[in-house]
Amino acid sequence: MAETPLYIVLCSGEHEKVQMAAMMAAIGAVSERPVAVFVSMNAILAFARDASDDERYRGGAFSDLMKAKRAPDALNLFRQGKELGDLKMWACSMALDVQGWSLDQLVAGLFDGPLGLTSFLSDAQAGQLVTL
Amino acid sequence: MAERVRVDARGAYCPGPLMELIAALRLVPVGEEVEVWSSDKGSAADIPEWIKKARHELVGVEPREAYWSIVVRKAR
Repeated sequence: MAETPLYIVLCSGEHEKVQMAAMMAAIGAVSERPVAVFVSMNAILAFARDASDDERYRGGAFSDLMKAKRAPDALNLFRQGKELGDLKMWACSMALDVQGWSLDQLVAGLFDGPLGLTSFLSDAQAGQLVTL
Repeated sequence: MAERVRVDARGAYCPGPLMELIAALRLVPVGEEVEVWSSDKGSAADIPEWIKKARHELVGVEPREAYWSIVVRKAR
């Protein structure tokens, strides 16, 4: 039986939520679930191409713990999910427009393209939708 | 049978050990075994669950002094 696709809307830029999205996306993808991640609002800032780790990963007490204990890097988890499974990542076209960014200003090799929320939600009717 | 591949993922947090195991499994032929060492308690439970879901074969889970040894045989 085909696995139910997992759709993740990531709109928080908090490190903890970016990390959870990355963990869910990577584990879902390697468990043979098609996964699609839609990155919008503050979350898009966590994917700025030239950001340092401190700029990219801002959060609360658990973020500090994850950094101190060297939890798996969220961007690497997304990369591994793409490499080892069926994981697609979409940059919200509205967020790019508001920020004045193009795809070139996001971390290379992660995003499959810009996408509108209407298209993403239409696709997501076929699966399970999680918002972070 | 070739010598078993061993992945030392001690010190890595979830889902690091699982991702390292999967990357190693991709590189070995069907029928070969991969052993992962994980000090992450959650991974000791999650990795066997993934093995079952991915339809590989769990050869064994063995607690050691400060980590777990999990052995999987690539089934497909």
